[in-house]
Amino acid sequence: MIQPFTTEPIRRIGDDGTPIGDATPQHSPDALRALWRDMLRAREFDKKLVTLLRQGRTTFYAQASGMEATQVGIARGMRAKHDWIWPYYRDQGIGLALGIPIRDLVSQCLGSNNDLNKGRQMPHHFGDARFNFMSISSSIANQVAPAAGTAMAQKYLGTDEITICTFGDGATSEGDWHAGMNMAAVNGAPCLFICENNQWAISVPVHAQTASENIHIKARAYGMPGYYVDGNDVIAVQEVVQHVADRVRRGEGPALIECLTYRVGSHSNADADAEKFYRTRDEVEAWTSRDPIRRFEAYLDHLGQGIEADERAQLIQDTHAEIEAAVREADASGFPDWRIMFDDVYSDTPTHLRDQFELVRAEQEA
Amino acid sequence: MTATHEKPEATMTGTQPETVQMNLIQAVTQALREELARDERVVLFGEDVGARGGVFLATQGLQSEFGAKRVFDTPLSEASIVGAAVGMAVRGMRPVAEIQFADYMGPGFDQIISQAAKIRYRSGGQFSAPLVIRTPSGGGVKGGHHHSQSPESYFTHTPGLKVVMPSTPYDAKGLLKAAIRSDDPVIYFEPKRLYRAAKGEVPTGDYIVELGKGVIRRAGTDLTLIGYGGVMPDVERAAEALAASGVQAEVIDLRSLVPWDKHLVLESVARTGRALLISEAPRISNFMGEVAYTVQREAFDALLAPVGQVAGFDTPYPYVQDKTYLPGVNRILREAAQLLSY
Repeated sequence: MIQPFTTEPIRRIGDDGTPIGDATPQHSPDALRALWRDMLRAREFDKKLVTLLRQGRTTFYAQASGMEATQVGIARGMRAKHDWIWPYYRDQGIGLALGIPIRDLVSQCLGSNNDLNKGRQMPHHFGDARFNFMSISSSIANQVAPAAGTAMAQKYLGTDEITICTFGDGATSEGDWHAGMNMAAVNGAPCLFICENNQWAISVPVHAQTASENIHIKARAYGMPGYYVDGNDVIAVQEVVQHVADRVRRGEGPALIECLTYRVGSHSNADADAEKFYRTRDEVEAWTSRDPIRRFEAYLDHLGQGIEADERAQLIQDTHAEIEAAVREADASGFPDWRIMFDDVYSDTPTHLRDQFELVRAEQEA
Repeated sequence: MTATHEKPEATMTGTQPETVQMNLIQAVTQALREELARDERVVLFGEDVGARGGVFLATQGLQSEFGAKRVFDTPLSEASIVGAAVGMAVRGMRPVAEIQFADYMGPGFDQIISQAAKIRYRSGGQFSAPLVIRTPSGGGVKGGHHHSQSPESYFTHTPGLKVVMPSTPYDAKGLLKAAIRSDDPVIYFEPKRLYRAAKGEVPTGDYIVELGKGVIRRAGTDLTLIGYGGVMPDVERAAEALAASGVQAEVIDLRSLVPWDKHLVLESVARTGRALLISEAPRISNFMGEVAYTVQREAFDALLAPVGQVAGFDTPYPYVQDKTYLPGVNRILREAAQLLSY
């Protein structure tokens, strides 16, 4: 039913919200509501965090607006707190849908005392051991080979976990991407690689990134199946991720999924004028017309489970209120002092770090 | 060739005080064998480490003894070898990865400095990567510039990594066992020209040499010679030559560069008043620059002469001039004479 290497992306919902074919999985109304809710929360999280960025409350944020179906579909296709994920830096939608509290994501972006990562990493680089959500590295694609290693460990230890590894289209040009794909394949590691192809690596479009006709076809070179899915169709993404994850879990080796989606906003605050410099308004409008949330709402309408305006407004209001409360909580927790510099460099504190700690202590107490 | 002057001061947990004469690479193999037997989380992998046993045969016989699940070959990719070690370590294993030559660490460099070294810190201590990267390093084997380099300073410059380099079979075993048991990523450099040249007594039982502890190889009062790894036999020969001319040189083997045994060095220099630092890595940004800074800053009053240094040259490693490039006994003695006559 779900085949690799299709010419067209696998879809379950048409652009107008009409179900495609009769293969649509039977989600309960609650499960459908949960998908909608996760996507809208991710959208609103983006909006609020961009506001915090503009207010100077945080110094970096990478929007994922337009990619909600891909990220929520991935999260709902894996087993939260059981499977492991080596994410890339734009995966707040996955984190939210896995259940990482908004409070913890906001705390990390603000670098407050209640940040699980103790204010060490730049904003928007989460890591949460409770969700097996690996700490995010800024280097492009260097999570790919470690993901292969985590999957190799899962196989060695005899667990039924799998490892999900996500990346953007630009990552597929890095040596580490090829190294990690190859390592996982040769070892038959239970690793599911997922490309969130949002078509732009900062200002370089995917056609200037690779001469391959698409990303998923690269899987052929590594001896694994490559699946092509409409990344703006949350039902399709979830279904394909679940299907392929089951295959990986059965010990049939790693696989690659390409989710074709679009980054509507800028790469980060460094390129706030994306339309002005490197892409056309026509292109952006063409993709915003395929908005994953509106498409899903039309689908719910079609099923007779439509969202009422006040229900939508309430969720937006609740999400904003939750973020605002998280900001207040972060502020109330205070911000880490100089002592955090010297913890967690090693499992113990070597003499030279103790000496440097004392130097700063003397400065601080002077 | 290398006499081991140290007493086994490290922790002895075995009941058999027996020792066996072996060379450095045999000690590496023995450490790996014992750790594989002790802890099922330990796995060995890299290029050719399985059936072949590594190009230097450090892992010879281990695959047939422990199986291909524990000791295995990988694709020829340093990025994936190191990266896989990182991913395995965070999931609770104790991977020991072999990079065939230290010169080839380049393709795995980002995995070492951006992933292995940073995971504990950047995650606020939620994750860690307790892995070991073993790699043959240094010159003296006619290897040319891609089989002879000493890249340790790239790694000592990266907080989060521990960096060690033995020079005796005893230390090779004890340091490697400590590295495997360490909760931190450890870069374990093996001075390849000592693999078979360094011989010594090695306990057959379990023991570790604590990371971060140097050792006095020879006691002396007039000058402190400080080195590590492949240069140590020449450093000891230089000390013997100095003794023949009535100069008592103290010889320190650092063994660990990060962390390094600052107090051992400072106490020695306080007694002798002179420090000569010997390593074969290029001079600019050489790790010994940190030792020199520390000695002049913290033992300045005791110094009778400027801190001396003998290092490799700031050239790529030259194939034909293998012996000239390396710090040898004569160069050590010339620099020692300058310090003694200052």
